[in-house]
Amino acid sequence: MSLPPEFAELLPFEDKWALRSEAERQGARLASDMEDIRAFYTAMQARVDDILTLLADHDPADLPGELKPLFYLTLSYCEVAPAVELFRQPAVVDGFEPRRLVRVEIPNMTPPDV
Amino acid sequence: MGASGERRYTLEYPELGTGPVPIEPYISPEYYEKERQRIFRNTWLHMGRADEIPQPGDYVVRSIDVIPASILITRGADNRVRAFHNVCIHRGNKLVWDECGRRNRFTCKYHGWTYRNDGKLFGVSEEDMFFDLDKPNLGLHELPADTWNGFVFVNLAPEPDRPLTEHLEEIDGLTDGYPFDAFSVCFCYRARLRANWKVLVDSQQEGYHAKTLHRRSLPGFLTNMAEPSRHVVDIRLFERNRLISYYGNREFQPTPSALQAFAHGPSVANFATGETPPGMNPAKDPNWAFDEYAIFPNMQLLLFANMYITHTMWPISVNEAIWEARGYLPPAKTVPQRFNLEHSKVLLRDAWLEDGSTLEATQVGLESGAITHQILQDQEVLIRHSSKVIDDMVNA
Repeated sequence: MSLPPEFAELLPFEDKWALRSEAERQGARLASDMEDIRAFYTAMQARVDDILTLLADHDPADLPGELKPLFYLTLSYCEVAPAVELFRQPAVVDGFEPRRLVRVEIPNMTPPDV
Repeated sequence: MGASGERRYTLEYPELGTGPVPIEPYISPEYYEKERQRIFRNTWLHMGRADEIPQPGDYVVRSIDVIPASILITRGADNRVRAFHNVCIHRGNKLVWDECGRRNRFTCKYHGWTYRNDGKLFGVSEEDMFFDLDKPNLGLHELPADTWNGFVFVNLAPEPDRPLTEHLEEIDGLTDGYPFDAFSVCFCYRARLRANWKVLVDSQQEGYHAKTLHRRSLPGFLTNMAEPSRHVVDIRLFERNRLISYYGNREFQPTPSALQAFAHGPSVANFATGETPPGMNPAKDPNWAFDEYAIFPNMQLLLFANMYITHTMWPISVNEAIWEARGYLPPAKTVPQRFNLEHSKVLLRDAWLEDGSTLEATQVGLESGAITHQILQDQEVLIRHSSKVIDDMVNA
């Protein structure tokens, strides 16, 4: 996989952060140090509006394969934002053990990972 | 009387008193046993949304440890939602083992008895070997089930003491016009905790903790500059249910990523502008943030102008419980809307991780004998009311 050429500066983040599921994205956040998280956050903050403009008319359930990594990067940006903007560390400060708050799929109501 | 100045909600309900509230109900096995028998086997319990089973043949299974029971909820060919004990009437085996699906008939894996999704017994293997089997009149044990605003409720009592409409009529008018159907996307988290179920309920029926416990995730969210001690704009206590309306800080500063997300949809921190449905914000306070209904015994419903949240707390034993938190948002039809949804979800999840952090330690504190009572301020009066409602039923 690779990103459209206009987003070449995000290539260094693709392997680590272009992740399909919330569990993977949260896992990457918790396994990273703040230097890595901040670098990704800063790069995405500058380009997320451009990505959303490019993908504005796409249904996430019907996204062409070559655009999926960009989409996943926007979701990982949501995942790491609280670490940078609110907690200043990867995990919620003094939070409940994240693995014990289990994601549950509600039939016909929880959007599947795409 | 305005929602400001000298008003103290607690004093408007003199039967609740103002003294400390005992913690014995949170740690006593005897008290828990009475709650099981007199409350959970005897009232309407929130099971989720009817939208989880939109098509005839759809079903979900809910495991309710406090009874204990497994409950099968189906939508029949007649479109009716029904609930049954998920128990084969032959010798009591669990009938449906998966958590959801679409099937018109269910076959017991033990001896092959088969039932229709309206509960009727359809087939019995080696039927000719049974004695006086009155098949047309046999079927799954059906439970009283009804819906309110699209939420499914089930009652384990053979004869409920009141219909669901009566159970909820105190709050029914207040939710008039709320667009529940518009928020058709649900994300859900569940945690099993070593804590009494009421520790979990109480953690979600006051906003006093917001400015301290959520000082990082939602800094200043409910902060009231004009009256720093007041984060509530209305409280209404009913026979069993409760309503609390919260103050929202219009000076609340969204983070840079939140601003990028809000451009494409709603957010928990994106306060109502313009008209809200008529029943919402019953005090009609201009600084209103959201309404929270505490629905007896174990459900909280938080209605924001542009999304809603439910919490349902399920006892397992005197000091174990399951917390189920759900957020309901509009469907994401485009990538930017999906980005907005993810942002709201992650922020709420992280705030819930803050909420979850105190619960088990609090239970240890209560069991340690260090305190015998809890000390409640005026805006924590829902806990006082909840304790009394439960106590009155337990000791009835």
